[in-house]
Amino acid sequence: MRSLLSLAVLAAASVVSAVSVTGNRLLVVLDDVAEKESYSKLFGSLADRGFDITYDTPRSEDLQLFHLGERTYDHIVFLPTKVKALGPKLTPQILLDFVNAAGNIMVALSATTPASTSTVAFLAELGISLPQERTGLVVDHFNYDTVSASEKHDTLVLHNSKPVRYDMWDVFSLRDDEFLALPHTVGHTLGAGELLTPILRAPSTAYSYNPKEQTEAVDPDDLFAAGQQLALASAFQARNSARVTVLGSAEMLQDKWFDTKVAVEGGSKVSTKNAEFAKTLTGWTFQELGVLRVEEIEHRLKDSNETNPEIYRIKNEVHYQISLSEYRWDAWVPFNANPNDPPQLEVSMLSPFHRLNLAPEEHSATDRTRTYSTDLILPDQHGIFNLRVNYKRPFYTYVDEKCTVSVRHMAHDEWPRSFVISGAWPWISGIGATVSGFVMFCAIWVYSKPAAPLVKKTQ
Amino acid sequence: MRFLPSFALLAGAASAASSWSFSDGAVEVTSKGSVSTSYIFADVQETVQLGQADRLKVSLTAKDGSKAKRPHQAFLMLKEKQTGLEAPYALTLKESGKGTVELTQKDLPIQLLTSTDPLEASLVIGSFGSTKGAVSHAFNVAILVDPNVPQPQYEAPLRYGKKPEIHHIFRDDPKSPPKIISLVFALAVVATVPLVLLGWAAMGANLDHAAKAVSGSASHILFFGSIVAMEGVYFLYYSGWKLFTVLPFMSIIGLVAFLSGSKALGEVQRRRLAGER
Amino acid sequence: MAVAQQNALLGPPSQSSRTLLRVVILLFIAGAAIASRLFSVIRFESIIHEFDPWFNFRATKYLVANGFYKFWDWFDDRTWHPLGRVTGGTLYPGLMVTSGVIYHILQALTIPIDIRNICVLLAPAFSGLTAFAAYLLTNEMTTSPSAGLLAAAFMGIAPGYISRSVAGSYDNEAIAIFLLVFTFYLWIKALKLGSMLWGALCALFYGYMVASWGGYAFITCILPLHAFVLICMGRYSRRLYVSYTTWYALGTLASMQIPFVGFLPVKTSEHMPALGIFGFLQLVGFIDYVRSAISGRQFQAFLITVLVATFGIGLAGLVALTSLGYIAPWGGRFYSLWDTGYAKVHIPIIASVSEHQPTAWPAFFFDLNILVWLLPAGIWLLYKELRDEHVFVITYALCGSYFAGVMVRLMLTLTPIVCVAAAIAASKLLDTYLVKSPSQTSTSEAGEKKAPKSADKTASPLGVSSMVSKLTIVGAMIVYLLMFVSHCTWVTSNAYSSPSVVLASRMPDGSQHIIDDYREAYQWLRQNTKEDAKIMSWWDYGYQIGGMADRPTLVDNNTWNNTHIATVGKAMSSREEVSYPIMRQHEVDYVLIVFGGLLGYSGDDINKFLWMVRIAEGIWPEEVKERDFFTARGEYRVDDGATDTMKNSLMYKMSYHNYQSMFPPGKAADRVRGVQLPSEGPVLNTIEEAYTTENWIIRIYKVKDLDNVGRDHFSAAAFDRGQKKKATKKRGPRVLRVD
Repeated sequence: MRSLLSLAVLAAASVVSAVSVTGNRLLVVLDDVAEKESYSKLFGSLADRGFDITYDTPRSEDLQLFHLGERTYDHIVFLPTKVKALGPKLTPQILLDFVNAAGNIMVALSATTPASTSTVAFLAELGISLPQERTGLVVDHFNYDTVSASEKHDTLVLHNSKPVRYDMWDVFSLRDDEFLALPHTVGHTLGAGELLTPILRAPSTAYSYNPKEQTEAVDPDDLFAAGQQLALASAFQARNSARVTVLGSAEMLQDKWFDTKVAVEGGSKVSTKNAEFAKTLTGWTFQELGVLRVEEIEHRLKDSNETNPEIYRIKNEVHYQISLSEYRWDAWVPFNANPNDPPQLEVSMLSPFHRLNLAPEEHSATDRTRTYSTDLILPDQHGIFNLRVNYKRPFYTYVDEKCTVSVRHMAHDEWPRSFVISGAWPWISGIGATVSGFVMFCAIWVYSKPAAPLVKKTQ
Repeated sequence: MRFLPSFALLAGAASAASSWSFSDGAVEVTSKGSVSTSYIFADVQETVQLGQADRLKVSLTAKDGSKAKRPHQAFLMLKEKQTGLEAPYALTLKESGKGTVELTQKDLPIQLLTSTDPLEASLVIGSFGSTKGAVSHAFNVAILVDPNVPQPQYEAPLRYGKKPEIHHIFRDDPKSPPKIISLVFALAVVATVPLVLLGWAAMGANLDHAAKAVSGSASHILFFGSIVAMEGVYFLYYSGWKLFTVLPFMSIIGLVAFLSGSKALGEVQRRRLAGER
Repeated sequence: MAVAQQNALLGPPSQSSRTLLRVVILLFIAGAAIASRLFSVIRFESIIHEFDPWFNFRATKYLVANGFYKFWDWFDDRTWHPLGRVTGGTLYPGLMVTSGVIYHILQALTIPIDIRNICVLLAPAFSGLTAFAAYLLTNEMTTSPSAGLLAAAFMGIAPGYISRSVAGSYDNEAIAIFLLVFTFYLWIKALKLGSMLWGALCALFYGYMVASWGGYAFITCILPLHAFVLICMGRYSRRLYVSYTTWYALGTLASMQIPFVGFLPVKTSEHMPALGIFGFLQLVGFIDYVRSAISGRQFQAFLITVLVATFGIGLAGLVALTSLGYIAPWGGRFYSLWDTGYAKVHIPIIASVSEHQPTAWPAFFFDLNILVWLLPAGIWLLYKELRDEHVFVITYALCGSYFAGVMVRLMLTLTPIVCVAAAIAASKLLDTYLVKSPSQTSTSEAGEKKAPKSADKTASPLGVSSMVSKLTIVGAMIVYLLMFVSHCTWVTSNAYSSPSVVLASRMPDGSQHIIDDYREAYQWLRQNTKEDAKIMSWWDYGYQIGGMADRPTLVDNNTWNNTHIATVGKAMSSREEVSYPIMRQHEVDYVLIVFGGLLGYSGDDINKFLWMVRIAEGIWPEEVKERDFFTARGEYRVDDGATDTMKNSLMYKMSYHNYQSMFPPGKAADRVRGVQLPSEGPVLNTIEEAYTTENWIIRIYKVKDLDNVGRDHFSAAAFDRGQKKKATKKRGPRVLRVD
C-alpha cells in the first residue's frame, strides 16, 4: 500500500516535472469556489497537464501569494469576481511583485461583472486600460452569433486566422474555417509598450460601450475604443519573461461555450474552437509554450580549441555559436527559428559594429537543441565588446545573452616584420649600409697607414 | 453652404432583411476665414482637403430600411491606407436619426496626421436587432500641412523583431609603394657602400697597419671583434631575440669592447703620436 | 672649504680624510632626505598617496605579475570602459620598470619585500640620489667643495621637491627629478670635456628620463637653449659640437624607443628646437671649418648667404611640414604656458587640474624659503665668472622661474637649480667669512705689513675679515640655515605628508581623528559588487577606484579621451531622463560621488561640478549650458535659490539625496557652501542609494535596471510610493497602437 502510494507520488512528480517550466502551483481566484464547476473542462485540462490547482476567493483569510519572500504559487488565474477590490492580499503592488518574481497571471474579465479596482490598477501599470467605470461591453453588429445573441449582438464570433503581425509566431491562430465565440466581452486598449502583444483584436466594426448608460446610441464623448484598437485578449511578457494575459470574456472558457455551435449572419452553424484556444492561452501563459532556453554559448578563435576566451585581438577571426531549445508542452525540443527571422549576433561597443544573422547548423533528429552559428572578423577597434544575442520576439521568452570580451590592440610583435613590407626595403638596406660602413670605417681608422701624399706633407 | 440631398447606399443590401442606410450625407469643410466647401458623398472622386485650422463636418440621416431612425452605432471611420490604422468618430445622433460629427486636425491621432496619402473615410452604421449594419465608403480626406507650423514628429515605437544586418567597414590596410621602386631605392642605398669604399681607397685609405697592430697584442682582435659581435647581436635582436636575451650579451661585449678598446686605442694613439698615422 | 675648515679643528686634513668626510656627509644628507619624507608612513601607514600613484602602483603590480613583455603590450580593459586603454603604449614605463627591477633584485637576494613597500619608499630612496646628483652638478660649477654639499643638503630637504617625493607619493616625478639633475650633470660634464663618452652617458640618462616622465621635454628644450645661447655669445667650440651632437643623436634614438613617445621627437613642435639647434650646429661647424680655409672677405659673403639661405629654407620647411600635418603644431599645454588664461577657455580639462593653476607668490617662499633670495645672489656670482656651465645655470634658472610662476606643478623643475645657485651663494658667503679666519686673524693681529693682498680690504673692524663681521654674518647664516631646516620640516610635516586618501583631523582634545571614508567606500565596492561592475565617477577618482576597489571605471586621471570625460560630465549635469540612457549605454552599474557637505570637506564634487559642466558643454553646447547653473544674478547656489537646471541635475540630486534626514526638519545645512538647504530633498528615480560612508564623503548609487513591466522609472517610482496613477491629459495628439 505504502509503496503504491509512493509510486503514485512518483508518478505525480513525473507528471509535475512535465508541466510548465516555472512550476505547477496554480491559484484560481473566483467569487465562489463552487463556481469552478462551470469551468470544469478547463480546469480538468489543466489538472491533466499536471497543475496543482488551488481555488480560493479574494475574501479568504489565508490567501497568500508570498511566504517568507518566496512565491507560494507559480501561476494565478483571476476569474470575474463581484468584489469591488480584491482586498489586502491581492493589492496591485503584490500582484506586481508576483510578476516581478516571475509569476504568471491570467486575468479573465466579463462584461457582466465589473472588474475589480485592483485588477484595473494592476493592468494599468502594465499599460493595459479597461473602460471607464470598469464596465464595458463589446458588440459588433456585423460579426455576432446569430444563435445566442441575435438581438443583443454581444457574443462575438471571430476567426483569428492570422497573427497580428506577419512575422509573429502564429501560436494563437486558427484555420480559416474555425471560429471562436466570445460572449459578454470586455475590451481593453493597449499602450505603446513593446512588452504587450494583442492576441485577439476586435473586428474593425466592433466597439465598446457602457450598457448601463448608452442604451440608445453611443455617446461620442464617451467612446472607449472601437475597431482594431480594441483588444479582446492580450499578452504581456515582462522583462523577466513572466507572463500576464488578459482575456475579455471569461465565459468563453466555460464548459458550455466549449462545444456550442455558433453561426454568423448568413453562415452555417459551426462548433467553436474555444477549448483549443483556452488550452493554448493557458499553456502560453503558464510557460508551457514558447519558452526558450540557451543551452550553450561558445565563441573561440577560428583555429583554436580554447573556448570562450576573455580577450581577443582586433581583426581576429572568431566563431560564435549558440544552442537554443524550446519548451513545448512537456519537452524541450530544438528551437527552429523562422528562417526569415533568425537570431542575430551583435558585436557592440556603445553601438553595434556588426549585426549578423546566425545560421542554423545541421543537426540530427535526436538533438534536443538547435545550434546557430556564424563566423566573423572582429572590428579593427580595440575596446570591450559585447557579443550579444538579443533575440526578443513576441510570444517567446526573451533571450538576451551577452558575452563580454576585450578586444586588444596589436601587440608589438604581432605586426608584419619589416622585411615583409616592401616599402621598408630601402630603410633596411640603409641600416645595412650604415652598419657595414661603420665597421669598415672603424677598421680603416684604426689600421690605416697614412696615405702617401699625406706623408709627404707631414714630412 | 448648401446640403445637397440624396444618397443611395451601396449595393449588396438586397437581402430580405432590412438593412441600415442613410440619406442626406454631406461633408463640409469650414476654414478659418469662413470659406467652406461642401461635398456630397456621391462625388467620392474628389478628395476633401483638411487644412491646419479647418473644421470638417459630416452630417447624415440614418435610416432603418426607409424609415429614419436612430441606430446605436454610427461611426465615421478614418483609415490610413498603408498601415490600415483606423480611428472611429461616433456621430452625435438625434432621435430622428440625424447625426453629425465635427473634427479638426487636432482630433486626429498622430499616425493619421502625419500620413502623406489621403485618408479613407467610411461610415459604419449598425444597431441591435435583426436589421443589417452597413459599411460604406464615403470620401477621402487629405491632410494639408502648413510648412510654417512645426509638425508633431512620429517615432515608431519599439517592436521586437528582426533588425537590419550591420557589417563593420574596416579601415584600409596600409599600402606599400610598388615593389620595383622599393627595390631600386634599396639597391641605390646599398650601392653607396662600395662607393664609399672606393672613395676611401682613392683618398689612400688602407689596412697596412693591421698586421702590425694585431701582432702587438690581443686587444686589437678583441676590440674589433667586439664591434663586429655587437652588430651581430643587433642583428639577432632584429631577427628574433628578446630584449632580455640581448642585454646580457650586450653588456659582456660592451665590457670587452671597453677594456680592449682602451688598450687598442692607446696603441693607435701612440702610433699617431709617432707620426705613423 | 667649509669642510676643510671644520677639519682643520681636528688637525691638518689629508685628501683621503676629506673624501671620507665628504662621503659621510653625503650619506647623512641622504639619510636626512629620506627621513624627512617618512612623516606620512609614521603618521598614517605605508600607503600609496593621492591619485596618479594609485595607477602607477597598479601598473607596477601588473608588471611584476605578468612580466615586461605583457606589460609592454598591456591592454587595460578595466579603465575607460568600454573603450579600454592601450596602457602599455600610453604610459612612461620608467617608474614601474625601476620598481620592478628593484623588486626582482631584492627577490634574487632573497629579501622578501612587498612590492607595495618598494613603491611607497621609492621616492624617498631616489631623493637621496637626487641630493647626490645635485652635489655633482654643483661641483661642476664651482671649485668650492662646500657648495656641492650645501646644494645636496638643500636638495634633500627643499619642500619644493619634497612635495612630490614623500613616502607613498609613487609618481613619475619621484625618479624623474633625480634623472633631470643627473642628466644635467652629465651634460655639463660632456660640455666641459667635449667628450663623446659623457655625451653618450648623458643621452642614456636622457633616455631613462624620457621613459619616466613627460617633463623630459624640459631637458629637450633647455639643452638646445643653452647651446644656442652659447653660440650667440660666440662661444661655439668643438666641445659644444661633440657633446651636443652626441647627446642629440643618441638621446633622440633612445627616446624614440619608448612606445608612448615614438615618433614625437621628429613630429611635434616641442621637439623642434633640439632638432633645429642640431642642424644649426652643423652649419656653425661647417662655417667654422670654412673660415679656417678661405679669406675673410669671401668668408663674410659666404656666411651671410649661407645663414640667410639656411634660415629661410629651414623656416619654410617647418611651416610647410606643419601645415601639411607632418609636424604637429604646438599643443594646448604649450600655449597655456604662455597665456595662463588659455587653458580655461580652450582646454577646460587641463585647467580643471589644480596643479595646473598659476602659482601664488607665497608659494615660492613656502616651497623654497631662504633659497628664494639666495638664488639671485648665486646667479650674480655665476654671472661674474660666466663659464659655459654657468650660462647653463643662468638660462635654466630664468626659464625655470618663469614656468614655475605659470604653473604650480613646475615649481618642481625650478627647485634643483635654485638649490644649486643658492648653494653657490651660501658657500661663497661662508667661504669668505670662515675660510681664512685662522691665518687671517693671526695676520691681521700681526699687522698689515705681511698681510697678503686679500687682507688689505679687511683692515677696518667692519671689514670682511674682522671678527665682528664674521661672527655676524656666519651667525646670521647659521640662523637662516637652521630656520630653513625647521621650515622644511614643518612644511613637510604639515603640508606634504597627507596621503589624501586618508584625512586627518583634530578632535577637540587635540587627539588625532582619522577620516577614512575613501577606503571605506572602495572596500565596500570591492566586497559588495560584481567583479566587473562598472563604476562611474568623475575622473579624479578613476585611478583610486581602479587601484583600491579593483573595479572598471569609465574615466580616470589619464585624461586621454576628452569626449568620454565629457560624456560623464553630461551624465552628471543633466536631468535623470537624459543621464539614464547614457549610463545604460555605458553599462554603468554604480555611480560614485564625493560629497563634503556634512563634514565641510571642500574638495567635493559639487565644488568641481562647474568643470564637469564646462567640459560637457565643450562637446554638447546645445544640451549643457554653464549659464543655466548660475542664477539670474550670476551666483552659483545650491540652496533654495538654486536654478532648476542645478536642482534637476543628477549630481545635485545624488549629493543631497536623503541629506535632509540627517537634520531636524528645515535645518539641513551644507557646511562647505555654508548654506541652508531646501527642506524638501531631491527625489531620485533612475538610481538608488547603495552606500554612504560614515562621514558622507563618498556616496555610491546603484543604477536601476529597466523596469520589469516596461514603465518608465518615474511612474514606477511613483507607483512604489503609492501614488495613484493620475489620468493626466497628454499634450499633443493621440497615438494609436501599432503592432
